[in-house]
Amino acid sequence: MSLSDSQNIEEATTSLQSQPDAKTRRYDRQLRLWAATGQNALEASRILLLSATATSTSILKNLVLPGIGHFTILDAATVTPEDAGNNFFLEGPDSIGKNRADEAVRLLGELNDGVEGKAVQESVEDVLEKKPEWIKGFTLVIAHNLKAKVVQQLSDLLWEDEAGPGLIVVKSAGFLAEFSIQFHDHAVIESHSESAPSLRITEPFPTLLEHATALDLSKMDPTDHSHVPYVVLLVRALEDWKKNHGGNPPKTFPEKKEFKKTISALKVKMDEENFEEAENQAYRCWTETKIPSEVSSLFELPAPSLSSDPNTLQFHALLTALKEFTLTQHPHTLPLSATLPDMHTSTESYIHLQKLYKARAGEDKATFNTLLAKVPGGAEITDDVVDSFLKNCHAVRVLRGRKWGTFDADREALTTALQTSPRETSTHLAFSALSALPSDASPTEESLRAAVHGIVGQDIELPEEFDNAIGEIARSPTADLPTTSAFLGGLVAQEAIKMITKQYVPINGHCVIDLVETWTGVIS
Amino acid sequence: MAAVVHPGQASHLGDWAGRYFHIDQVLDKPGPRTDPSFLAGDGVKKFLREECKILVIGAGGLGCEILANLALLGFKDIHVIDMDTIDISNLNRQFLFRQKDVGQPKATVAAEFIMKRVPGVKVTPYFGKIQDKDDDYYMQFNLVVCGLDSIEARRWMNATLVNLVDPENPESLKPLIDGGTEGFKGQARVILPTVTSCYECSLDMLNKPTAFPICTIANTPRLPEHCIEWASVLEWPRIWKDKKMDTDDPEHIGWLYGVAAARAKEFKIEGVTWALTQGVVKNIIPAIASTNAIIAAACCNEAFKIATSSAAYLNNYFMLIGTDSVYSYTFIHEQRPECPVCGGESVEISISRDFTVESLIEMLTEKQHIQIKKPSLSTPTKQIYLQAPPQLEAATRPNLEKKVSELVADGGEVTVTASSLPFSLSLRITYT
Repeated sequence: MSLSDSQNIEEATTSLQSQPDAKTRRYDRQLRLWAATGQNALEASRILLLSATATSTSILKNLVLPGIGHFTILDAATVTPEDAGNNFFLEGPDSIGKNRADEAVRLLGELNDGVEGKAVQESVEDVLEKKPEWIKGFTLVIAHNLKAKVVQQLSDLLWEDEAGPGLIVVKSAGFLAEFSIQFHDHAVIESHSESAPSLRITEPFPTLLEHATALDLSKMDPTDHSHVPYVVLLVRALEDWKKNHGGNPPKTFPEKKEFKKTISALKVKMDEENFEEAENQAYRCWTETKIPSEVSSLFELPAPSLSSDPNTLQFHALLTALKEFTLTQHPHTLPLSATLPDMHTSTESYIHLQKLYKARAGEDKATFNTLLAKVPGGAEITDDVVDSFLKNCHAVRVLRGRKWGTFDADREALTTALQTSPRETSTHLAFSALSALPSDASPTEESLRAAVHGIVGQDIELPEEFDNAIGEIARSPTADLPTTSAFLGGLVAQEAIKMITKQYVPINGHCVIDLVETWTGVIS
Repeated sequence: MAAVVHPGQASHLGDWAGRYFHIDQVLDKPGPRTDPSFLAGDGVKKFLREECKILVIGAGGLGCEILANLALLGFKDIHVIDMDTIDISNLNRQFLFRQKDVGQPKATVAAEFIMKRVPGVKVTPYFGKIQDKDDDYYMQFNLVVCGLDSIEARRWMNATLVNLVDPENPESLKPLIDGGTEGFKGQARVILPTVTSCYECSLDMLNKPTAFPICTIANTPRLPEHCIEWASVLEWPRIWKDKKMDTDDPEHIGWLYGVAAARAKEFKIEGVTWALTQGVVKNIIPAIASTNAIIAAACCNEAFKIATSSAAYLNNYFMLIGTDSVYSYTFIHEQRPECPVCGGESVEISISRDFTVESLIEMLTEKQHIQIKKPSLSTPTKQIYLQAPPQLEAATRPNLEKKVSELVADGGEVTVTASSLPFSLSLRITYT
């Protein structure tokens, strides 16, 4: 054991932590998902809600509880008897006649002392006209049931600045709803993917290969024999196989079967679990790809413009270094991850194997850092970010967003979507129609149908699902149902959290919700 | 449009003109997919607002959301059962509770909050266990909505409602709407006892709980979790004998953490922390407000649709995964003919003639679709093994080492019961 290792363990156990502080205890159940990095991002965020409808306050509730830094509600309206009936963040008849944003901010504020809330009693239209730049001062802007003309203005404003806030456009009527997010690029390092990093069994690093080939299975005592980790067994078995097969791994089905037999034949007792694991994991000897195609495809992305947001620029620098690493470093794989899954073995063998992986991962990181230092902006990236990137580099994601309204302007995409996802696309178009109608019009199936043809053209063929969508919207065009708003409140807050923390993967397109049949679907 | 409130509508229930403007839009007329039997208008509103009695099980993460939704939807007679008190770690999502409420019963605080916020709604809390209530109690409700985190409690509630069904009395069939969440994932389902698949039918869909073999914990620890299990499973009973471990007591967690950390040091294992120790011993499932909001809304939406017929209800399972985009799947979960609660057919089990009673018990505990903790076994003519009372346990204990084939004939029936479950499982044993 090296000195530094012993110090790590010493530190970890002699200075025992005491019970976590009140804030950590309050947030315990969410910190287990997004950790301190995610929490810090949330606490630094500033959210703008356009209008204080029941849906808006539902969304905010789910963001105030986990602890965003700040929210502003922009709403000039006075609470009506109708508002007081369906909004949990109004106090029934007592709130009627008061400013809607004021009341909502006061009641939402009670949920979390750590969150700052502000009510601005102005209309969106006024703000767009008089101080549009103010809107850009937020992390994320969320708009519920605004008319298409206003959304268009907002979308134009927020799209012109590549580093500007994202825009979530939310629509609902009765049992139906939809939302979409406008963003330029969204890079995710911590995607929380369920896929595990490569163990490099097909391309073992020198110390692992040495360790595996040095084993003399025939002379081992039975206990040690049943404690050789499957990773080591596979590396060894594959090496031996390749020697007898012209340097090739098992390729055909009979060869693979034969390979598994050779593993099984090494058993000295029937019930050696490590050998059973090796047989079950044998697929790693022929399916371990060098670099996941989702990751290598990112190497072809064009460089972002210098006015992109800092996260995108930083991510691109890391990606550039990663590409360089895979091109220049033998055996042209991703840097090794130090994460080792549990496997049947003794403590000593496991810790030994873990050390081999950690040491190699450390060397790969040093090489990566040298390459990163040569990339513009690379030297300024903190060690924590580099560690997180290397740990997750097998599952990093980049979403290329589109401007709001792009889908509706794309005749071809719409026609395809109407065929492949008729119910989602129909509902989406019905909402486009609803928000295009003048606010004083009472929507009917006829006016909604006409409005859709106004958007997509007269000759487009609409499926029968479209009748369901416009029928449902005409039934309850202005209904902000408590359950629909709560459902949307949860979904939109999940997406907002993903956007803010840059963990997990947000939607890219339109998410459509039908609570008559209880389904959701994403189209783009 | 506020004029949709009809004159004479129960003003004593706290209603005001315009209150139900939003909801009445879907109650005053049908949609294109609404069943023709839907009677739009006053009748359905009267049932919802004056007659329907609904029971909510759980006033925690889902329960708080469910209560708020039901109150806003217009349900006026709501009952809620919860046996827990409020903890600081609830406050990141259980939005009816404040710092000052920590230590108070969840059911009571939640009920008071709802009644204060939504005028005219009566919420009757019960601070205690669902098992405290009898069939007559459950019989009084039209609907039951479950927001629980315990599998055992769900199984009990499900079996109780299935047992309640009397084919002669349609009123005895109480729709059960069940929700559950974990992190960014969740599910909501509608169970019509005896008609659709029940909770017990789908036991095999649950994630297998992580169980570490005792030999790993005792001899070959590799992960920090193994050290924590060693502290809680082996060291606690060795040192503290019969003293019960309280996973909510920070002193107990502190002790376990210290012991686990020392073992980790001895074996050079890194990563034992306070949070991990607490997570492992309490089996903590990550939970956030937003996922609970989605699932609770889905559950209440079904309750509303069943109570009003304003739209068809879910048939019968909705699952959602929000980790990578928004993925959801709505499907019909099929009834299992050999479900011990609603199926009636015996479960076939094939074992070797050398299989002991003890191994059979272990198998019943572990099998995904059975999962019976501490089962007692008997045949129509004799007791094989009984967990309680102590005298009978002692009397039947010698049977544990016997072969099942010595006690049960080929093709014979074994009845399995457990004190935690209000039903018995019938096994048909065959030998290989």
